[in-house]
Amino acid sequence: MKKIILTTFILLVLMSVVVTGAMAQQQGGTLVFGRGGDSVGLDPIQVTDGESFKVTQQIYDTLVDYTPGTTEVEPALATDWEVSDDGLTWTFHLREGVQFHDGTPFNAEAVKFNFDRWRLEDNPYHIGGEFTYYSYMFQGFPGIIQEVNVVDDYTIEFVLSEKQAPFLNNLAMVPFGIASPTAVKKYGEDYFKHPVGTGAYVLDEWRQGDRVILKANENYWRERAYLDEIVFRSIPDNSARFMELQSGTIDMMDGVSPEDVESVNSNDQLQLSLRPSMNVGYFAMNFNFEPFDNVKVRKAFNYAIDKQAIIDAFYAGLAEPAKNPMPPSIWGYNDDIEAYDYNPEKAKELLTEAGYEDGFEFDLWYLPVPRPYIPQGKFIAQAIQSYLSDIGVTANLVTYDWSTYLDKTEHQEAPTYMLGWTGDNGDPDNFLYVLLDKTNSNNAYVSEELHDILVEAQKTMDHEKRVELYNQAQEIIHEDAPWVPLVHSTPPIALKSNVKNYIPNPTGTEKLHRVWLEN
Amino acid sequence: MAEKNNKVLKKNSNPWLEAWRRLLKSKIGVAGMAIIVLLLLVAIFAPMLAPYDPYEQNILSRYKSPSAQHILGTDEMGRDILSRIIYGSRISLQVGLFAVLMALVIGVGLGLIAGYYGGKLDMIIMRFMDIMLAFPSILLAIGIVAILGPQLKNAMLAIGIINIPRFARIIRSSIISIKESEYISAAKALGAGDARIIFKHLLPNAMAPLIVQTTLSIATAILEAAALSFLGLGAQPPSPEWGAMLSDARSSLQKAPWVATFPGLAIIFGVLGFNLLGDGLRDALDPKMKNV
Repeated sequence: MKKIILTTFILLVLMSVVVTGAMAQQQGGTLVFGRGGDSVGLDPIQVTDGESFKVTQQIYDTLVDYTPGTTEVEPALATDWEVSDDGLTWTFHLREGVQFHDGTPFNAEAVKFNFDRWRLEDNPYHIGGEFTYYSYMFQGFPGIIQEVNVVDDYTIEFVLSEKQAPFLNNLAMVPFGIASPTAVKKYGEDYFKHPVGTGAYVLDEWRQGDRVILKANENYWRERAYLDEIVFRSIPDNSARFMELQSGTIDMMDGVSPEDVESVNSNDQLQLSLRPSMNVGYFAMNFNFEPFDNVKVRKAFNYAIDKQAIIDAFYAGLAEPAKNPMPPSIWGYNDDIEAYDYNPEKAKELLTEAGYEDGFEFDLWYLPVPRPYIPQGKFIAQAIQSYLSDIGVTANLVTYDWSTYLDKTEHQEAPTYMLGWTGDNGDPDNFLYVLLDKTNSNNAYVSEELHDILVEAQKTMDHEKRVELYNQAQEIIHEDAPWVPLVHSTPPIALKSNVKNYIPNPTGTEKLHRVWLEN
Repeated sequence: MAEKNNKVLKKNSNPWLEAWRRLLKSKIGVAGMAIIVLLLLVAIFAPMLAPYDPYEQNILSRYKSPSAQHILGTDEMGRDILSRIIYGSRISLQVGLFAVLMALVIGVGLGLIAGYYGGKLDMIIMRFMDIMLAFPSILLAIGIVAILGPQLKNAMLAIGIINIPRFARIIRSSIISIKESEYISAAKALGAGDARIIFKHLLPNAMAPLIVQTTLSIATAILEAAALSFLGLGAQPPSPEWGAMLSDARSSLQKAPWVATFPGLAIIFGVLGFNLLGDGLRDALDPKMKNV
C-alpha cells in the first residue's frame, strides 16, 4: 500500500512538473530588442553586418540551420541530404508544404531561383548589391557551385567544381536565407525594403534609422512563434540603451558595457545572458609600414601587452586571453602553441635586436564604436599605448567614423589597427582563411606557405587531416606574428527577468521564435 | 586685456583708466577676473600643483571614488582626475586664447578693409561673412575638422575660423560710424594716409566693443573646444582635455558619476570666468554708463 501511495505521489509530482512545464510557456506579447544600430538592409545576401542579420534571421530560413546555441548543422528547409563519393555532388530533399509569407510555394524551383540570382552575374535579378557573402564563401561568381539542378519538385542537386569541406556549414549561414521568387521579381532593386521569406516572423514595418517591427507568421512550418511581435529599436549609445532597459522601455539589449555588467547582476528585474565565445579581438600590424615588416618588432609588441589586465579592466572578466587568431571553441584550435606571455624585458630585448633600442613613433588606429569583441576601443587603445610606452615606443591614437575606418583598413591604409571578427559558421576556415590568407589580409601579410595549407584544407574532406592542416597553419601564424591576438570575449546580453528561453548563438545572431514572455 | 590696452593708449586717453576703475568697482567683473587669474595660475604651475602624472594609468584601480589619496577619484584608465583637470586647464586656455587671437587678427583685418574702403570690397567680404554666419557655428567647426582631421590644433583652427565673422562685423560697423566723424575728415584734410587714419584714429576708437567681444569669445571658444573633443574631433586620447574627459566618462555615469562631474564643473568654471569678465567689461566700457 505504502508503495502505491509513494508511486502515485511521485507520478503526481512528475505530472505536475510536465503540466506546469507545458503551461509555463505563454503565448503572445511584444518583445522590444534594443541594439546599437539599424539594419543596413533586409535582403540577407546583400549585407554583411550583424544588425541586418539579427532581423533577417527571423524573416528567412536557410536550407540547413544551426542547432540553437551551437554551430552543429541540423535540417531546416531541407529535411535530409546526401553527398556523392567524390564530394562534388550534393543532393538535398526539401520540406513539403512550406509557403513564403506572400503565399508562393516553397520548392526546388524557388531554391534554384535564389542560387541562380546569387551566383550568376548575368541573371536579371543579380542586382541591388554586391552579393558579398556569396563570393566570400563560394569564391566569386559563379564560384565553386557549378550547377544547380532541379531533380523533382522537392529535390535539388548542387554540382561543385571542387570539393569544399565546410559546404554544409556555409549553407546554414544567415546570408543564404531563401527568398520568395515572386517578391524578388516584383521589387527588383527595392527588395531589401520588402523582404519575403518563410521564417517565423513577417516584416510589418521598417522605419529606417529607428525601428523594425515584425509580426508572427501564422502559417510557420515549425510551431508558431510564442511572441506576437518583435520590435528592434536602434539606440546607438550603450549607456542610454541600458537606462532604457532599467526603466523598462525595452525588454533586452546587446552591447552591454562592461561597466554595467555588475548592475545587471545585482538587479533582480534583470538577467544576464552570455553568448558562447566564438570571436577574436586583435591588434594588427601592417607589413607595408616600417618597422612592422620586421618580425622581431611584431614579436616585441606581442610580449609588451598584458592581455589579462586588459580583460580584468575592460571586459568585466568576460573574456579569455588569445594566443591564436581563432577561438578555442572551434575545432582545430592548436592548444600546443605557447603564448607570448607578458614580458616587457623580453620585448625591449627584441626591439634592441631589431635595431630600435631608441624606440619609434607610429599611428595606432582604434575602433570608434563598441563591438562585441572590443567593447571599448578607446580605453583599450590607451592601455596598449601605455604598455608600448613602457618599452619605449610612442603610439599616436587615431580613429575615423566606423564605415571610413573599415574602408581604410580594408585598403591597407592603417599602419596598425584594432579590429575583430565573430565567426559565421564554426569552421576554422572562416577565421584563418577569411582573416589571414594573402588574398584577404588587411595588413599586407603574405605567406605562400600559409596560403597553400589553407587552400588544401578547404579541399580536404577528411576531418582529421583538416585538423592537422589548421594546426600547422596556426604555427606559421604564431611564428610570423602578424597580429597581437588580444582576446576571445564572451559578449554579455542583458534581458528583463521575464524574458524566457533566449538561447544566444555563438555566430552572433539567433532566431527568436522560441523566446516567450512571462506576465 | 583692459590693462594692456591701457598702457598702450595711456598718453592720449584717460577714458581707459576710467574704465579700469569702473571695472574694479563691478563685483561681476572682479569675480570674473579672479577666476581667470586662478585658472592662469593653475595652468602655469600645473606640474607643481598636480599630485600625479596626468597620463599615468593603473587599469587595475579604475573608478576609485574620491578619497584622501585621489581627491577627485580616478577615471576609466585609473588616472588621477584632479591632476588631469589641472593639466586640462592648460589645453582649454591655450585653445581659447589662440583661437580667439586668430579670429581677432583676421576678423579685424577684414572688418577694417570692408568698413573703411566700402564699395564692392565691402560687399564681397561681408557677404562671405554672412555665409559663414548662416551655418550653425559648431556645425561649421565640425565640417572644418572633418576635412583637416581630428586633432586639437585643427579644432583650434576651426574655432578660430568660425569666430572671424563676428569680429569682422563688429569692427566694420564701428568703422563705418566713426569714419564720417569730423576729426577723421580733419585728418584727411591734413593729408594723413590710409594707414595712419586706420591705426591712429579709427582702430583705437573702435576698441571698446572689440574687447568685450574678445573676452566673451574666449568663453565660447573654450566651450566649443570641449564640444569638439566630446565628439572625438578635438583632443585625442590620452590628452586630458575637459570635453574629452567628459565624453569618456559617459559609459560610467551610473557607476562612477564623479568621473563626469568634475571635468564638467571645470568647464563651467572656466566659461563662467570669461563670461563674467566680459559682462563687467561691457558695463565698464559703455560710455552711457560713464556718470553712473
